Amino acid sequence: MAFKLTEDFKARAEKLCARYPRRDAALIPVLLELQKEAGYVAEEAMDELAKFLALPYARVKAVVTFYTMFNREPAGKYHLQVCRNISCHMAGAPGLLARLRAKLGIGEGETTKDGLFTLSAVECLGACGAAPVMQVNEDYFENLNGEKLDALLEDIKHGRLRAGGR
Amino acid sequence: MPKLTIDGKSIEVAKGTTVLEAAAKLGVYIPRYCYHPSLSISGNCRMCLVEVEKAPKLLTACSTEAAEGMVVRTDSEKVKAARRDVLEYLLINHPLDCPICDQAGECGLQDYYMEYSLKKSRFAAADKVTRQKRRALGPHLVLDNERCILCTRCVRFCSEVTKTSELEVMERADHSFIDLKEGKALDNDYSMNIADLCPVGAWTSRDFRFKQRVWFLKKTPTVCLGCATGCLAEAQHNENVIYRVMPRPNAETNTWLCDRGRLAYKAVTAGDRLAKGFIKNGLIDLEPALREAATRIDEAKGAVAVLGSPWLSIEDNAALAALAIEAVKTENFCFDFPAEQGIKDGILINKDAAPNTAGVKLVKAARGGISLEELSRRLLAGQIKVVITEARAAGFIKEALKAAAPRLITFATNRGEIPQGAYATLPYASYFETPGTFVNYQGLKRRTEPAVTPPEGVKPLWGLVNKLAAYSGDSLHLNSSEDALKGVKL
Amino acid sequence: MENILLKDNVAGLEGYFACGGYRPLKKALALKPADVIEEVKKSGLRGRGGAGFPTGLKWSFIPKDAPGPRYLVCNADEGEPGTFKDRELLLRNPHALIEGMAIAAYAIGAAHGYIYIRGEFAAEARLLEKAIAEARTKGFIGKNILGSGFDFELFMHSGAGAYICGEETALLESLEGFKGQPRLKPPFPAVKGLFASPTVINNVETLAAVPAIIEKGGEWYASIGTPKSTGTKLFCVSGPVNKPGVYELPLGVTFRDLLEKSCGGMQEGKKIKAVIPGGSSVPVLTAEEAWAVKLDYESLATAGSMLGSGGVIVIDESQCMVKLLQVLARFYHHESCGQCTPCREGCGWIEKILNRFEEGKASVKDIDLLYSVADGMQGRTICPLADAMAMPVMSFVKKFRSEFEAHAAGRCCAPEAGGGH
Repeated sequence: MAFKLTEDFKARAEKLCARYPRRDAALIPVLLELQKEAGYVAEEAMDELAKFLALPYARVKAVVTFYTMFNREPAGKYHLQVCRNISCHMAGAPGLLARLRAKLGIGEGETTKDGLFTLSAVECLGACGAAPVMQVNEDYFENLNGEKLDALLEDIKHGRLRAGGR
Repeated sequence: MPKLTIDGKSIEVAKGTTVLEAAAKLGVYIPRYCYHPSLSISGNCRMCLVEVEKAPKLLTACSTEAAEGMVVRTDSEKVKAARRDVLEYLLINHPLDCPICDQAGECGLQDYYMEYSLKKSRFAAADKVTRQKRRALGPHLVLDNERCILCTRCVRFCSEVTKTSELEVMERADHSFIDLKEGKALDNDYSMNIADLCPVGAWTSRDFRFKQRVWFLKKTPTVCLGCATGCLAEAQHNENVIYRVMPRPNAETNTWLCDRGRLAYKAVTAGDRLAKGFIKNGLIDLEPALREAATRIDEAKGAVAVLGSPWLSIEDNAALAALAIEAVKTENFCFDFPAEQGIKDGILINKDAAPNTAGVKLVKAARGGISLEELSRRLLAGQIKVVITEARAAGFIKEALKAAAPRLITFATNRGEIPQGAYATLPYASYFETPGTFVNYQGLKRRTEPAVTPPEGVKPLWGLVNKLAAYSGDSLHLNSSEDALKGVKL
Repeated sequence: MENILLKDNVAGLEGYFACGGYRPLKKALALKPADVIEEVKKSGLRGRGGAGFPTGLKWSFIPKDAPGPRYLVCNADEGEPGTFKDRELLLRNPHALIEGMAIAAYAIGAAHGYIYIRGEFAAEARLLEKAIAEARTKGFIGKNILGSGFDFELFMHSGAGAYICGEETALLESLEGFKGQPRLKPPFPAVKGLFASPTVINNVETLAAVPAIIEKGGEWYASIGTPKSTGTKLFCVSGPVNKPGVYELPLGVTFRDLLEKSCGGMQEGKKIKAVIPGGSSVPVLTAEEAWAVKLDYESLATAGSMLGSGGVIVIDESQCMVKLLQVLARFYHHESCGQCTPCREGCGWIEKILNRFEEGKASVKDIDLLYSVADGMQGRTICPLADAMAMPVMSFVKKFRSEFEAHAAGRCCAPEAGGGH
């Protein structure tokens, strides 16, 4: 299937480009915008984006593979990202991860069959004072424990995701 | 003009000179992987770390500018330890598949390990990061990511020299690797330089790999005759076989070679290489072929034309001029090849595909002759019955030859060069087999040296001219390439 | 002492005005740029991102007569494990940052600024974007600010997940749309930074302190803290303390005061084993060392560690130091940009050695190997990420060797810590 950048997307991308003296500087924000729309950055999308920004394809691919936030394949509707760094580790992140693996029946880096959840272990999310922390899509959920995690999963399954666990 | 000392030796260098370059001037070699004089400075390999007085840390010699009063040590314990450590880090994830690696003998890892390390690895073999093993990437190259040390010379070459930017380092940390777009070939016009640039066995040339161990190779300076740029090159050969041609970097003309020029040597041993004469469609021995050609020339006395060639050396063109003037005694000779010259791709490839347009001018200046148009006119007017020329040069008067249909006697090295309708073709020694002088588009004189001997019985072109004249009863006394130059000032 | 940075009810523009917000900007615009720099120099303010470089001095490195544009960049790529102050500051006091940037831009002559925020802080980025828009409508950002003739455009720029982009030249690469791989220095950003132009890069906390310095004067700011470590600092405390969080305290505060007075002490039944005082990259302190230390640049250096980002990670007796080091090694291995040989290869090597310790497959010899691999990385790379890996390794091994020995002998020192053996 041929991938096409929509006119609407191009218009938004042009606005991002206008923030910089060189349009290729907008590569990362434009990729983030693209991922927001499609859920991931497909191979063909990189190609199209390279043409749009007048960049070599390899540069786009290198950037996509360098930064961890770019999904190279479709992710679940909810991307559960559990911080596993030192403060969260001490506060029980390994237990949270184990619990999620068991409850969802998937490993880290995998997506549930229904396409609802992708599970990832990530590095420091910068919220160590409220460890352990999990980011779901753009929202942080802090001071988690087993029960809170279960409740959160239920909320998500029933479409009651509320942002901001602070 | 900062003055600095390196390992106790003083030197004054131009502002902007790096420590690595200053050291080279003093004969102090600083090991390096990522540094390449013709690419931007990357500073990633950390092999060139040196100690600079008052600097708290070791500095990379490749990126540090020489400064007034700088005191540099490249031989201190600190520097030696850094080199040992960097080599150890480089080798932990290297497959150490030297026995099956064709880089042996010119491998930066092997060489530096012997020179600077000899340390036993402390890395658990089972822990190695595995990467993709060899795969052909494009018509000329094989990439083995597992051997790669990520110095990025290849990446920088493609972005800075060819500006094709096919390559990049993908991912990060120790699982990063060089790659290009899936399914795409690395087939820019200069791709084989990457095999030269690669300091390890990651990039190898499909043409050269496993053909010959490099320590058996002998090197002979030559000139690339692929176009008027006239890049300095080096033929590498063993037991009378050329295995590869490499650039001889020089400030005037070239650091690199284009792939087409580099592979031109293949003609020397190609299947259609001529070792015998060719009359109409049949091969015959050289002597009968020469006799036949001479007979036809004698027959047409007064209606013979000689056309020089920008693909031939000055010596061979001069020999052809001597043939026309002193043996055939005709005014129908031409050493006039107008051509637009200049680099057409911004790198090396010239607009003029012939290597010696400028050299032939010297022959014309010394010996005169008519223009190409005049030669064509005389052909079309029926004044010429026999044309003697080099196979590719016949192309300059293609239309006239077709219309007038004279007997065409050509010189060629390979059967593929012979123009349609040639009556006789005489084989000559290529410039990998015989010396020759060429003048490139910059007006620089360059000489090829023989790297191998020609196939049995094959002579330099000036030798054939000498024989042709002899068969017609004239003596030109061309017994060497110097003799051939007679009358032409270099 | 009243907080300078972390205040209540200033997140919105109204609240910020109520506390005298944007008055310092007006004051600064009436001064000569050089005088603004002078005031910041007088304050003794030092970079709060981790390196502690004097801010006024950094600003003064911008060449006076360089033609072409200059840039001001705010480093909001907070990612050092144990550090979460910038996020707090952005949420609670975004206008202090925006105002600080406008003042800094005026001082260095930059017409454009970018806030490079880590990609994961999407909600924070939206809030900040909103705050910038508010400031723009009031004329604090944009053309002819407050009628002074000074123009300053400020944009947000999101990262996409790379710890290394907190290193200032990697950040610039990323801001230009490249992989975040640190640049060789020299040239330094002050001479050749963003888009090859003179650039100042400051941390969020650094820039947010600027309005107060302009308002109350450099001398006032310098009177807070210690003579060389002036002003207040945001300390981020994580670990099993009663009230983890971000605390603004004068530099030179004792660790004891931070822990006991601000954080309400250790959780019931927990005893300190170790403290990492400045984010995960700095050398660890033993409990004994920590109890005795003051939190400022000099005191921590004397104690063999660093103030770093102010991320104070408290580790209690139940934790296994080998396991924690493995967690850190996994992180640095994951985040190494892959450019320099020692870091690219060394970080992975260290993680693998530590995995062996955790799997019970290590020998005593591996303790020295660990130390030596880390030692070999130090000071030999373009950026300090290799050092950031080496410092914890070397200090953990030095100060908690017995735990490594226990692992080598097949025992875990803290079984309840959840090591995988």
